[in-house]
Amino acid sequence: MPLSPNEAADALRDISQTERRSAKAYGYHMMSPHLFLWGAIWLGEYGGFYLDPRRSWLFSALSLAGVAGSFLIAWWMKRGRADNYSWRYGATLVAAFFFVTAFFAIFHPTSDKQVGAFFPLLVALLYVLMGIWGNAFRMGVTGVVLGVITLTGYFYFPASFMLWMGLAGGGALMLGGLWMRSV
Amino acid sequence: MDQPDPVIHQAVRLKIMAALKALPQGEAIEFVRLKALVGATEGNLGAHIGNLESAGYVDVEKDFVGKRPRTRIRLNKQGRRALEEYVTYLRDIIDTPIEGRTS
Repeated sequence: MPLSPNEAADALRDISQTERRSAKAYGYHMMSPHLFLWGAIWLGEYGGFYLDPRRSWLFSALSLAGVAGSFLIAWWMKRGRADNYSWRYGATLVAAFFFVTAFFAIFHPTSDKQVGAFFPLLVALLYVLMGIWGNAFRMGVTGVVLGVITLTGYFYFPASFMLWMGLAGGGALMLGGLWMRSV
Repeated sequence: MDQPDPVIHQAVRLKIMAALKALPQGEAIEFVRLKALVGATEGNLGAHIGNLESAGYVDVEKDFVGKRPRTRIRLNKQGRRALEEYVTYLRDIIDTPIEGRTS
């Protein structure tokens, strides 16, 4: 028996809703290990700097390790299959590098705390934008939480800001990663 | 297409196909994740995946991650084409006036 137009419309709506849910879950699934990795890196970077401020090299070393780790994760999750977006990962990184370099050249931050707050706020903004434009609620919430944590630490716990960012910022990223994995 | 594809023309199997089609081409999804997306029981989902596999629409891979068994399902080209034809069939029903239909 052929379908009625209403039944056909219901079926199309079901298809569309399932596709949207599946695509969103896939996006979360792909993002989750990156958040977990960077949460651990922040814990090491900020925590290490808090314990010994002479270890500022930790930021560069661990960040480079994080970038390499993110590329490895992306490669592994796609099982080495190249896609149309592969080159965009590298291009994004280059654009971010030039933006940060230009920003610091112009604004000349005067304290480690300012630099330490800038990167989490930048990441928080990116997550919020991904949440808004990608209709990814959990990304958006993670970004807002990260921003609030950063500002709270900067203004209310200045003496232990680095420790705060290591524990609360890194922890929020890891929890965000776990939250996305649960979809 | 005058009649719907009987393999896809079933609510759970249609959701399975739609969930798989949303993934990048060639990407597979784990059974447990698909179960959550489709909202089916384990036995029910397994039976429907078996039907889709028999029809040649999905490929099923079974392996182990450590000691844990893992089943992954992937929509193949034939399945993707079948779903696209089914969607066209549904759109035709909506777009074609009732008096213009052949069946």
